[in-house]
Formats: sequence, C-alpha cells, structure tokens
Amino acid sequence: MPQVSMIPEACRILAVTPHNSRDIHFVVEAPKQGFTPEPGQFVMVSLPGIGEAPFSLAALPGEGTAEGTFEMLIRRIGRLTNLITQLKAGDVLYVRGPYGRRVEWDQFEESNLILLAGGLGLAPLRSFVRRALGRRDRFGRIDLLVGARSPDELLFRTDLLVWASRQDDVHVHLTVDAAREGWDGRIGVITSLLDGLAVDTAGTTAFLCGPPVMYRHCLRRLLAMGLYEHNLWLTLERRMKCGLGLCGNCQVDGHYLCSEGPLVSYREVRHLRDVV
Amino acid sequence: MDNEIYRLPRERLDSLIERLARDYRVVGPVKQGATWMWTDVRPGMPLALDYPTTMLPPRQFFAPMRETLFRYHRGDDGRFAFEEPAGERPFALLGVHGCDLTALRVLRAFHESSCRDRLVPGRLDRSFVMGLACWTPCLPESFCRDMGSLESESPASLYVWDIGGVLLVKVQTARGREIMRDVGALDAATPDELVALRKRLRTRPEAFPAQLQFAPEKLATSLKAAESDILWEATADRCLSCGRCNLVCPTCTCFDVGDQASLSGGDGTRTRSWTGCQVPGFSRVAGGHDFRPGRAQQLRYRIFRKGKYMPERYGMVGCTGCGRCATHCPTHISIREIFLQVGRAP
Repeated sequence: MPQVSMIPEACRILAVTPHNSRDIHFVVEAPKQGFTPEPGQFVMVSLPGIGEAPFSLAALPGEGTAEGTFEMLIRRIGRLTNLITQLKAGDVLYVRGPYGRRVEWDQFEESNLILLAGGLGLAPLRSFVRRALGRRDRFGRIDLLVGARSPDELLFRTDLLVWASRQDDVHVHLTVDAAREGWDGRIGVITSLLDGLAVDTAGTTAFLCGPPVMYRHCLRRLLAMGLYEHNLWLTLERRMKCGLGLCGNCQVDGHYLCSEGPLVSYREVRHLRDVV
Repeated sequence: MDNEIYRLPRERLDSLIERLARDYRVVGPVKQGATWMWTDVRPGMPLALDYPTTMLPPRQFFAPMRETLFRYHRGDDGRFAFEEPAGERPFALLGVHGCDLTALRVLRAFHESSCRDRLVPGRLDRSFVMGLACWTPCLPESFCRDMGSLESESPASLYVWDIGGVLLVKVQTARGREIMRDVGALDAATPDELVALRKRLRTRPEAFPAQLQFAPEKLATSLKAAESDILWEATADRCLSCGRCNLVCPTCTCFDVGDQASLSGGDGTRTRSWTGCQVPGFSRVAGGHDFRPGRAQQLRYRIFRKGKYMPERYGMVGCTGCGRCATHCPTHISIREIFLQVGRAP
C-alpha cells in the first residue's frame, strides 16, 4: 500500500465568483503530481494555522475547466471557510488529494442517468454532469433534478442555463422549497420532480447528493419507482480529517468513507447503520 | 527460539536497562503516587514488575497523544513551506502485559490493512518490547483470560516470568538474544526453575476465573443480534460522553487533526491528537448534522467497533480485556458486562 504524506501543496486560486452571499466558486490550480480525480472524489484544503477540511470537486481538470485546474464551491460556514471565502484570485490554497474511491464510469455506459442535487449537492454532481455530457453518446436519457431552498439559493445558474438550452442532451428540472412572487417555476421538495418522470427502471442509474434529510426520502421514492439498489449511488458526507482511512472520523460500521466512499451504491451500504 | 529460557537475576535488570539505553529510550511501569505510569527509566529506578496495569496504554509511544505531522513556516514569497519532523529515538518498553502485547498486534493489523499510515508501523518495527507475565488480574474489571490475551507473548523480543527470586526470560527474537548476550544473561534456567514455572502456569487460570462463558470469536454474531437502539439506551443513559474509555483503550486509533499557530501566524505545526467516537461532535459534519447524535448510538458504535467491525476487518477482536475503560469510566459502564449480556442472549 502506498505511503502518503499529509503535507499539502500550495495551489494558486485562478478565479473567484460568488454565487450568493455565502457560496463562493473557486477555480484553482491543481496539484502538480497525479491529480486525475474521478467524479465523487474530494480534496483536503487547508490554510496553515487555521485548519483543513474536505471539499468536493465541482469540476475535474480538463472536463469543462482547463487542464491543470479544478473547481470547488465553498460555503462560508465555519472558521476555515470564512477565511477561504475572503481570498482572491492570486491567493494560495493548500491542497492535497484527490482522495476517495475511484468509481469507474464504464459501468454506467448505456444507462439513463438521473442526478438528484439538493442545495450544495449540486457542487459535486456538476462534475458528474460534465463527465456525462463530455461523453454524451455513451449514455441514454439524462435528467438533472435540482432542489434549492429558494430561488436565491439556486447555485451554478450559468451552468443550469447552458444545460437547460441543451434539451436534447440533458433535461433540467428545478424546484424550490419556497419562493416570493416572481418565481414561475415549481415549488416543492426535490422528490416531487420525480413525479411523471418516465423511467426505464432496469436501465437507469441515479446519483444523489444533498443535505442529510434528502437521502432517505429520495431513496424510498427511487426504490418505489423500481430502480435497482445497485444503480442508486450516494455521495455520503462525513467530516474527514485525514483522507487516508486512518483518523476514523468518517467511519460507518467500520468502513472508512474517505477511502471506501464517499461515492457508494445503496446496495453496498443499505445494511450498515447510521448511513443516512 | 521457543525453548530458550534464561535466568536473569533481579539485580541484572539495571544492566539490561543500561544496555537498552544505548539504542532506545527506555520506558517501564513506575509507581507515581497511587498509580503506575509508563515512565522513562534509568538504572537504579524501581521498575514495578508487579504493577496492576497503567492508566494510559502503551499505544501512547506508537501513536502519541499529540504528534506533529509537519511544521510550516511562511517563506519570503509569502507561501508556506512544510517540513516533516525528524525521526525520534525508538522506544524500549519494559514489562508489557499480555493485554497490551495483544493491543500492539491489533495496532499493527489496523495500520497495515485499511489505511496507509507509516508512522505507527515504523515505530512498531523499530521498538523493543519486553513482555511480562501476569499472575493475578490487574483490575476487578480485567477479563484478559476470556479475551485470550492473558497468554499473549507476542510481539515481545523478550518475555519475562517473575517466579520470585530469579526472573525467567524467554528469548523470542534474534534481537532479544543479542541484548541478553550483551548483559551476560545467557545462563539457561535450571530444571527446578522450569518446574516451578510450569507449576505456576498450570495453577494460574484459577486466579483468573472465567467471566464471559463464551469465546470472543462469538462476539461478532452475538452483537449482530443486539443492534436495536433500545437495548443500548439504558446503559448509554449513564454515559457522560467524556471519552475517557477512548483515551485509556489500548486499541483505539482515532485522531483529530489541527493546527497550532504561533502568534505571528507565520509558523506553526499541524498535529494529530487522540479523539474518540464517544466524544460529542465526533460524527458531526459541516452544517451541524450528526450521523450518530445519541449516546446509545455512540456507545453501540464503540462496542461494535471492538467486538464486530475490527475482527471482521482486521482479523482481531478490538478488546483485549484489559479492563481500563470500565475502571476509568466515571459511571462504571463496563464493556465486560455488555459483552456478557450480548453473549448470554440466545
């Protein structure tokens, strides 16, 4: 087994775009060596003296973003993210990774894809959408279901507009929990977007990422629709501290999600406790 | 090497310490106040060969309570540079009981299977361990015999039986023999001494009455039947979430990672330090959601990790029966009693 140091690499921020007052979109120079992540993997990002935390990848190098760069959406929610979200292009983040299981995409070929993204869950799923659109002919129908608390909290609006304009390639469905006047879209929870979706149950793969409360409801619904357990993929959030399968913070029934996940199929984890 | 048992007159312990000190930082159990602690020992210090276990387990020498992963300092270009600490002097641990020897094997199994640590296995490789046989249970909560760790003699280079008068030392590695040779202790035990040893070993189990009445291998299946929250609530109600059980456990491995910055902010260290599954917030994620929010879930997790997940993944039960967690629990939650309850269930 390879021995991995926890020393990060200084990576320059190339662009910073706020999506709203607390969610900031970063384009970052990738670590120089061996940075070839698969969708669902993550990086550990730190500021020395402040701390380190895991972040998902909103774009992988060369997949909708330049080679040698990657993207993250970082929510201002704690001490570390308060400081990171004040950084500007040209500033430096300290990055190590990618970490997590590499899920091979060959297995999804010829499948229809349903991607369910709740809130910040769209950040990692964005790299899934880009992977699928980058090899569009290898997949069947693609549906992207996006839920947000309010229209103001819809993330990646430019991407959503671009994808919505490519109706032959991807069907974008949006819903918000609540809206003021002026929103003429759907209001309701994300599972309501599954209503009336014609699904070939055996040939469909679903990817889920969102707040903890979303998983149980979506899983129940997708299983009731007849999707197979091994075709339901969840990205499970935990507070990884090392990324190496060592520190134990991400353990679920003895499984270390930082290395055996965070992307797992429901069949692999359905018998485990305290998963979602 | 199996039958290499030599005599070590008690007064020669000092030469042994002296010899080991040439290559190692030598630590052993020394009485400090009312307790015994792993302490740096020098020749002439009273090594407690009759100590009733230490509060903190020997893992503190292999995975220190807090250890520096790297130092950082800001260079002239404003960027931080990183530097890993130099290797430290290896340890020689004297007088390690069977429970703690077993725990060292568990640590190795863990660190060499699912994860990619190099610090702990490196220290296990470089250290020198002298095991020590127990004749009576260390603590009322000890159940080492039930967990199969009482008789554990590996991974010690030397293994000592204190039969009164002389110490009998079994050489278990080439390194162990080298050390014994250097201190001039390669006189074979006499037939009388071996007879005395055999007699003590034969009667030893009487001092360690069986407490579980089932084999530890059965734990994984027994626990499987004890998943329901409600079974854990009564015991967990007493839990104060202090995490002492995690700290004193010889097989706990979880850690937190944090930075210690100087006041200038220009330099500091990133360290890993012990934490545990019973500490509030251990399974909490950004935004505040906790995947194991209740004490019942947390307690069940600790017990399942020791009794089920570890044997399933690493091939060794994660509890050695040392009795530390129950002894130091402020509300006397006993892993032995919990094992007894789940093992007794039909």
